[in-house]
Amino acid sequence: MRPFDFLEPSSLPEALSMLAEHGDACCIMAGGTALLLAMRQRMLAPETVVSLGKLDELRDIAFDPDAGLRIGALARHADVAGSSIVQAHCPALAGMAGGLANPQVRNQGTIGGNLCYADPATDPATFLLAAGAEVTIAGRGGERRLPLRAFLVDYFTTALESGEILTAIHLPPPGSRQMLYRRYLRTPAEHRPVVNIALSAVTDGGALSDVRLIVGAATPVPQALAQTEDFLAGKSVNAAIAAEAAALAGAEVEPLSDGRADAAFRRQIVRTATRRILLDAAGLDWKDNAA
Amino acid sequence: MASTVIGQPVPQVSALEKVQGRAVYAGDLAFPGMLHARVLRSPYAHARIRSVDVSAARALPGVKAVVTGADVPERRWGVAHKQQHVLAKGVVRFIGEEVAAVVATSESVANDAIDLINVDYEPLDALLNAGSAFDDDAPQVHAEGNLAHEIRIARGDVDAGFASADLIHEDVYSTQSQYPGYMEPMATVATVDGTGKLTVWTATQSVFLARQRLAEALDRPVSTIRVHQPAVGGGFGGKIVEERSSVIAAFLATVVDRPVRLGLSRLEDFQSGCFSVPTRIRLKMGMQNDGRIVAKEVDILAECGAYAGLAPEVMLVTAMRSDNMQRIENVRSRARLVYTHTMPRGAFRGFGGTQMLFALNSHLATMADKLGIDPVDLHRRNAIRTGDTSVHGWSIGSCGLPECLDQVTGAIGWSAKRERPETGGVLRRGIGMAAAMHVSGNRTMGNWDGSTVTLKVNEDGRAVILTAESDMGQGANTMLSQICAEELGIPLSHVTVLAPDTDTAPYALGSIASRVTVNAGHAMLKAAKQARDQILDAAAAKLGCDAADLSIVEGVVQSTVNDNLFAPLPEICRYHIFRHGGEGILVTATHDPRTVMMDKDHYGNIAPAYSFAAQAVEVEVDTETGQVQVVETWLSDDCGRAINPLAVHGQSNGAAVQAIGWALHEHLQFEDGRLMNGNLADYTMPTADALPRVNSSIVESNDPNGPLGAKGASETAILPGAPAIANAVYDAIGVRITDLPITPEKILAGLAALGEKNHASV
Repeated sequence: MRPFDFLEPSSLPEALSMLAEHGDACCIMAGGTALLLAMRQRMLAPETVVSLGKLDELRDIAFDPDAGLRIGALARHADVAGSSIVQAHCPALAGMAGGLANPQVRNQGTIGGNLCYADPATDPATFLLAAGAEVTIAGRGGERRLPLRAFLVDYFTTALESGEILTAIHLPPPGSRQMLYRRYLRTPAEHRPVVNIALSAVTDGGALSDVRLIVGAATPVPQALAQTEDFLAGKSVNAAIAAEAAALAGAEVEPLSDGRADAAFRRQIVRTATRRILLDAAGLDWKDNAA
Repeated sequence: MASTVIGQPVPQVSALEKVQGRAVYAGDLAFPGMLHARVLRSPYAHARIRSVDVSAARALPGVKAVVTGADVPERRWGVAHKQQHVLAKGVVRFIGEEVAAVVATSESVANDAIDLINVDYEPLDALLNAGSAFDDDAPQVHAEGNLAHEIRIARGDVDAGFASADLIHEDVYSTQSQYPGYMEPMATVATVDGTGKLTVWTATQSVFLARQRLAEALDRPVSTIRVHQPAVGGGFGGKIVEERSSVIAAFLATVVDRPVRLGLSRLEDFQSGCFSVPTRIRLKMGMQNDGRIVAKEVDILAECGAYAGLAPEVMLVTAMRSDNMQRIENVRSRARLVYTHTMPRGAFRGFGGTQMLFALNSHLATMADKLGIDPVDLHRRNAIRTGDTSVHGWSIGSCGLPECLDQVTGAIGWSAKRERPETGGVLRRGIGMAAAMHVSGNRTMGNWDGSTVTLKVNEDGRAVILTAESDMGQGANTMLSQICAEELGIPLSHVTVLAPDTDTAPYALGSIASRVTVNAGHAMLKAAKQARDQILDAAAAKLGCDAADLSIVEGVVQSTVNDNLFAPLPEICRYHIFRHGGEGILVTATHDPRTVMMDKDHYGNIAPAYSFAAQAVEVEVDTETGQVQVVETWLSDDCGRAINPLAVHGQSNGAAVQAIGWALHEHLQFEDGRLMNGNLADYTMPTADALPRVNSSIVESNDPNGPLGAKGASETAILPGAPAIANAVYDAIGVRITDLPITPEKILAGLAALGEKNHASV
């Protein structure tokens, strides 16, 4: 690690002015779980690190019946998992946050830091896309709000401009929506998912509508499986429908190939994940229903 | 009276200081004026070094020295093959090989300076695949060719054995390198004092072997070097004599004449290698219908990477050790060790045993199936027994293998699970087992496998032990303390084991070949008995009675015939000093087991005792994701006698976990010779999440040659895990994986092939 200046602003305006002052020579630090690894390996060597650690206002988690959930960007994964507000209004989000990575990362890493780093081998983005999340970004000129879909640009790339800070994540009120989330590790010894999947749908007397089926970790940015979503609209899930949807999902996903798994393997896991999450949503047992 | 120390589950004597973070490791040491070193590594698998420009690095403020291969001694170091210099000279032979080193006032400056060194390489064709080592156009790793070592062993009449066989089965198995994954990456601090003496604190399993190697590499007399072993955070074979950073650190200290610290990051520790030897094993075996093995033929291709190190010795174990586990007469093996332009591979817990026992146990399970015999029965029918002399001349003083088989199969419910009906569905369960043997001690060096312990009893009746047998976390110091406390009749807390130091401790080979309990335990027993005799003689003189009527109980010398005749131990120890011209109680005892070196045909009883183990596991295979979960594991270790059952269970459970890692999760990925996953996020060792409850039990076969009946524990326990898992996977889904690790991709491919086969046969 190279020497660097460590700044700890005590307010958001102060943080923004520090970013403006130091420009591209500085890095923002939230939980630091990814940043410090990169700095230790000298993959990143910022002259200045601006820590957001003292901006307690960015840790709040709140719910409003009209606006939905608002999660401060600096809420740690363990905070999200343990929040009674999240558990009451979006239990699947609490489950996702409580199961990602490992306890060390959950107790240190933040949901905002996670989204800004945009590492595909992680969980929150996939879930939040299915939930229809939006993000608030603060800059010197004020705030802007955009859909998470627009925020996630590519592999390790977001729409965050230099000098901006992600401040909050918003989830619309769930209404009658059912949400499910599953993650798949290549082996039980891994802590990062090789595939994850989120399903969000309205179940009206068994038939699905307004289906969102998002696959992540397998792709550079989480991918909405549009054809599979269309196929599922209006259908009641049974073993045959789940199998057909799984085949569609496997065909339309555009998986990564890297050192952790090749595309063919990821495609197979996407098929499996699709089948299982649909059967789980329908209350059917996937263990008896091999494709 | 039952012992309160021996056979008791005693926490490690170092446990408290370790959990408090107060144990001092090499990397924790700091001295006034200490400098920091960093190393530049080759980015090429094979290249000629045309020139190295260090001028910019030298000019950087804070840099005290920059050295390259041109600056290091001409003398080469190595085990049997003398091949390595302190830094690469002229040629690099693997990605990660050390080319230059910087010493500076801080690690950060040293890192900056490393970036300023400019090496002009001429890249050369590299041999990256052991299978191509003998191709006509294969790049040559060393001038003498790519064959590092060859072993041929033959006993009995193998051809006649095969001719008499009812069933002959042949298959090829392959095993991958495993990273030792110790908690503590390599670290060394070295300094030269005003007399010119070089003192080195390093993470080592053997201070005397470390000193020998430093003397060779630095081309200076052994006695001008002093090696200390601070607390060591695990070795698993990687810290014997193959790692290179301690040699570099010691050399740098001689250059700058100031203390130098070289601590490897985890990434650098990976780049340095010290992985286990990968093998390709062709195994052919003949059996009669009753399961008796009548012939065995083995052909091994093993890869040592760029330098031989201990790999020839490792391969010898692969080639012949497991033959001794069974009553067989006709065996033939050929083993070839080849160089490649990859990082050196060598010693690893099990020392070549894991590789062959994967092949052997997989093979036995397959043949048991073909003969319709329960594999447990097949093992039992062929097992060597107490009192046997094995095919290679090993005298089996104790063999608890049958009891190990009983324990693990009973615990897992083997028979009931074998008979349960097959269920369809996505998740399939299966059971598997394997058996193993290992040496306790090994007479390979200088026709000596002895151990010496010096024991001092202070005037307060407390004891200090000097030995250079190493505790690298496995519990040697606790074992020695227990034996000493028992014999002297004092509490365990009154015994201190000094850290190994070549200038003060008696010569020792250190923690290799599971030899410390069986040999140092004996030496400790002798030393403690001698000290006890001296104490009782002094007490007899002081109390005016016969020494034979005295004993020491809880720190008091007590007459066994007259309750009124006693004296506290400190009183007797002081008396001893005052009545012997100031001589305290100081004894040295040696034990050299009655073993022999192997002859040129690899025959002879090399170890005082042999230990055995068996393991049974149940796995669940997800047929859609290919994921294998070990859901139950039982391991039983015949360690002769458990001087410390808590330590034996710890070793057994740790070994079982390391074996699960090797079988299922740990896979070094190379791309053109470059290690792609040299970090603990991508090289996935099993964490608590990945493991079931890990169970172990102990068989006490009470070896006649072991101290108090004890043999080695720990290495044997790593041997059966991988084949037990492979056998369980086969039982679950009918797919036989012969190349480790058992990855999800291989499971899915195996299932697909099975599906096609079944489809075709319909």
